[in-house]
Amino acid sequence: MTAFEPEAVDVLVETNEKKVAAPRRRGELPIQISLFAIGALVALPIVVALFTSVTSLSEILRDPNSVWSPPWTFDNFVTAWTATPFGRFMVNSFIQTGLITIAQVLFSILAAYAFAMFRFPGRNLMFAVVLGSLMVPFELTFIPNFVLISNLGWANTYQGLVIPFLASAFGVFMLRQFFMALPRDLYDAAKIDGATDWYYLWKVVVPLSKGAIAALTIFSFLGAWNQYLWPLVITNEESMRTAQIGIRFFLVNQERATDWGAIMAGATIVMLPTLLVFLVAQKQLVKGIAMSGLKG
Amino acid sequence: MATRAAEATTDAEPRRKRKLRGVKQGGMKAYLYLAPTLIVLLVFVYFPIIESFRLSLNRVAPFGSAEIFVGFEHYTRLLQSSEFWNNVLVSVFFMIGTVPIGIALAVGIALLLSYPVRRLAWAHRMLVFVPVVISSAIAGVLFRWLYNPVVGHINTWLGAIGIDGPDWLTSRSTALFAVTVAVVWRQLGFNVIIALAGLQQIDDVYYEAAKVDGASAWHRIRYITLPLLSPTLLFLVVINVIISFQAFGEIDILTQGGPGQATENLVYSVFVDGFVGTRFRGLASAQAFLLAIMVIAVSFIQFRGFRKRVHYG
Repeated sequence: MTAFEPEAVDVLVETNEKKVAAPRRRGELPIQISLFAIGALVALPIVVALFTSVTSLSEILRDPNSVWSPPWTFDNFVTAWTATPFGRFMVNSFIQTGLITIAQVLFSILAAYAFAMFRFPGRNLMFAVVLGSLMVPFELTFIPNFVLISNLGWANTYQGLVIPFLASAFGVFMLRQFFMALPRDLYDAAKIDGATDWYYLWKVVVPLSKGAIAALTIFSFLGAWNQYLWPLVITNEESMRTAQIGIRFFLVNQERATDWGAIMAGATIVMLPTLLVFLVAQKQLVKGIAMSGLKG
Repeated sequence: MATRAAEATTDAEPRRKRKLRGVKQGGMKAYLYLAPTLIVLLVFVYFPIIESFRLSLNRVAPFGSAEIFVGFEHYTRLLQSSEFWNNVLVSVFFMIGTVPIGIALAVGIALLLSYPVRRLAWAHRMLVFVPVVISSAIAGVLFRWLYNPVVGHINTWLGAIGIDGPDWLTSRSTALFAVTVAVVWRQLGFNVIIALAGLQQIDDVYYEAAKVDGASAWHRIRYITLPLLSPTLLFLVVINVIISFQAFGEIDILTQGGPGQATENLVYSVFVDGFVGTRFRGLASAQAFLLAIMVIAVSFIQFRGFRKRVHYG
């Protein structure tokens, strides 16, 4: 197992500056064209959804290709927003995602610090417990968890939605790698100056690990926002549905009316937060994913 | 000498005490830092493994929580049921459909993306990476619209070139393929990012040496890139196999396991038996257990089989 190499990952998002200076190569145009064609094809399902969401239903039904040209309208968003409590679904999703993200980041920082800095009996065993949890498939755990959460009376509650996901084994592993790479001298110096571990963690380690923590935050946010199976089984009241579950029932209801404009507007609303995260934090996201692959 | 010895003895006692106390305190402190993570993992990951096995040996009343111990009855019933084997086959076909194609596409695209173009590299990357933030549910919704037999874009475009597109999601021969495409698409961004990161790890020195020796582009890919990429490929295969076995969102939104049970994989069957209509949680747990064993066994075989062929360059 080799530790990830941040420089190698940087190259991913820096678009190869050292190679840009290289003399112009023959045959760049075909490469440009094929790359653009592939990119367009990959992004197509999203682009079609965005255009369909701003086209009136009558236009869509007359000719699906009419979505590519005006007139465009926001009526579908009004329909989607009023036909079903989308506002409520989004609020639920933000609460659920916010709680999971904060807890996963916080708990991972604490656990990673313990593994990276402390020597204590049972350390290897505990680390195996954390890593081993990554191998347990979710299908194996979700029925007993459903039974447990239901027996606690937490079905259709926020605690029921979030509590099983408050810890992240991946987060612990990733941050531990990062914390261990910090120079040990720093820790010894802080100790000599009388700093407590708590102080050292929050005033030195965390500020130095902003990049890794940002990547983990984005990961946790996307993972939580995009959850499907668990919120589907643990909520059956409309008022507690998350956005992903809301769009499922919206689709089932609207499809009888084949109101595809409204369905695509709903889908756009649901994926908008993740698309914004992608646009704003693509760099950290890509880095985080690349790290997960390089760690093996 | 005397003073040093004296120092040593006076020092020894407190130091040992301090050390002991240090370990104890350190241990306590470490476990305080670990407690939130460990408690959540033990209660919601490890305990459910045992509980799941216990449930699978019991018949659980569909409504309420009365249980009757039935031993391995669920397992023997499953292994004799054609429905169960259908679900296993769907899972396996699904894996065969998604994993090799998904990885081959990702590596191909990553190779193109790693070509040092002078401009717009960021734009190409962005377009290819974007599915990485899309959920399985949304992927299902987007493709359900594209597959719409009357006004969906796929059949509209096929119609424009004179092909009468099928009703993708309700026809037995196309439904599994249609779901496969949606899952490959949703996974593509992730796979390309991993493949590209693997490619960037390969030292340029190898390529330059090969060029000096006059190796063609294909030979460079075949004899340098792919062998040196093999650790990344192993990672991609293992992750993608696990993900393909876990496919749920797209199936739920696109076909709900239909038509008939043509797209009902094991996960979907666990969901249906455990949560839809009359619930058979014991039977569902037994299926979940067999599924988990399959996933772990397949991952294990891959590690064993690949180990000889992976080159850690």
